Amino acid sequence: MKLVIIGNGIAGNQVAFDVRKKDRHARITIFSAETVPEYDPCSLPYFLGGECGRTDVFRKTPEDYTTHNIDLVYDSRVVSIDPDAKTITPHAGGQVSYDKLVLAHGGDLFTPPIPGIHNPGVFSCKQLAETEKLAAHNGRSAVVIGSGAIGIEAAEALKRKGYAVHVVELMDWILPSLFDEPTARRLETALKGYGIHVFTGEKVLEIKGTGQVTAVVTDRRTIACDTVVVATGVVPGTALARTAGIDTGRGIPVNRQMQTSVPDIYACGDCVETIDACTGETAMFQLKHNAIEQGQVAARHIVGEKTRYLGAYAFARAHFFSTHAATFGKTQRATDCILGDKRVIEREDKDNYLRVMLLNNQVVGGQAIGTFADGLGLLIGAMWRKDDFMEIAAKMRTTPRGGAVHTWPMLRLGNLLGF
Amino acid sequence: MKLRRDHLSIDPEKCTGCRRCMIACAMKHHNRIDPDFSCVEVIRFASQDLEMPVICLACETAPCIKVCPMNARIRQANGTVVTNTEVCIGCRACVYICPVGSPRINPATGQTMTCNLCADESEPWCVAACRQERALTLCTEGAASKPAARRAAARSRAGSPRHY
Repeated sequence: MKLVIIGNGIAGNQVAFDVRKKDRHARITIFSAETVPEYDPCSLPYFLGGECGRTDVFRKTPEDYTTHNIDLVYDSRVVSIDPDAKTITPHAGGQVSYDKLVLAHGGDLFTPPIPGIHNPGVFSCKQLAETEKLAAHNGRSAVVIGSGAIGIEAAEALKRKGYAVHVVELMDWILPSLFDEPTARRLETALKGYGIHVFTGEKVLEIKGTGQVTAVVTDRRTIACDTVVVATGVVPGTALARTAGIDTGRGIPVNRQMQTSVPDIYACGDCVETIDACTGETAMFQLKHNAIEQGQVAARHIVGEKTRYLGAYAFARAHFFSTHAATFGKTQRATDCILGDKRVIEREDKDNYLRVMLLNNQVVGGQAIGTFADGLGLLIGAMWRKDDFMEIAAKMRTTPRGGAVHTWPMLRLGNLLGF
Repeated sequence: MKLRRDHLSIDPEKCTGCRRCMIACAMKHHNRIDPDFSCVEVIRFASQDLEMPVICLACETAPCIKVCPMNARIRQANGTVVTNTEVCIGCRACVYICPVGSPRINPATGQTMTCNLCADESEPWCVAACRQERALTLCTEGAASKPAARRAAARSRAGSPRHY
């Protein structure tokens, strides 16, 4: 079997090494657009902030590929796929045939149409090459455009490096897709407490300075700076699939075996559009654990095992200096358009905060800051199991003292929620 | 059913809440008598008068391995999952995703720590400390699980989600 993988990210490597574990004779080729072995984009902000070395970013070494007999082609972008002839064309020319093809090229950084976005001094923090440029850059004042997880982590890293850091967010609160307003406001206060300036509800109009960035102009103010970090999100790379005649939506839709509309072409990682494991609706969670699981499922199906992907789920953490927060499932805003009996449970205790969204007495999402977050995994379990919270509250009231040990997961959940 | 690796069996009904396991764990791994340095945590439910030892169960599909941004959670040869302290930055992602909330924070470094079943010992120290109560027992690899151990395992199962 000849397996060709486009993309050398987390999902692509998961497929390659999982297939190699089960099939010693498959010919596996990975086409990488970059010039380094697999690294973890989640680690990059910590590399930028100096919390870990450059070697700690990598998940694989070049030797791993040779010992596993996996052919890794560096610096080779695939420009077209011919699903009928089963060939792909790299940008350097020539054609490579395949029996099974895996699209794991992930997403592209969304570049907002702002004048001056390509000026020298504008960086991103999604790919190693870009992050290295940013790490080598000597500046004193930075503006981070966008406050997703990458934006906040980059802001922390730059603050650690001694920059004056400003975060500009277009939406009403920071981390808009991960947290609800009350949680985000607390995180914003914490960020400001560490000396990071946060401006929400502001639109960046222009980046000034053609030779070197000098200022960022928003609709309310002008911020003088010498460094700009663009962290406005990732859009799935669908252009390659679309030109090959594969169905595309927001991402590349896949079935439960990670196959695209062409059965011999699989897709996994940041570029796919899959379903939410808990609600069954179409969803895109461009997160590392989903990429790993999708890669595992694709690899099992490629070697002919029976497998079924249960779906993606949202789990993210926000961590800066000594503030720890985590979120999973839906935010309150995401449940707004669903019919049903909705309830929000909030607990507060000094700097710690817990917010749990219930829909028809079942957990659909939660956010926590501080010590309450330590028990968030129990709530994720309750979301998977679809525990009924009326039942848990009843158990808390009726469990006799010293007895009924089997109820302990319910007791822990009840204690966490303050029933 | 044969066990594929060594397991700790937790029987909360027998736990008296003496916390000797926590002291033993801290002595073994950090050489100090301080329950805060233990990988075991005994949780007390005051309203129900119940003690519950919480310890890493080393899930088959451990979610902590997948969510760690530094890839610091590593599966050991004996099946346990431990934190690589050389790269862990203390972001606590493994604590937040854990279905039983078991990783504990090392108060000195801020990194997480979990049970490695005292890989270099014949028996984990917490099990030795709990020999009288037998709330923590070791089920060794290959042994057919005893009915009692099986019952205890069924009771303490946390319902960790299976992803596929």
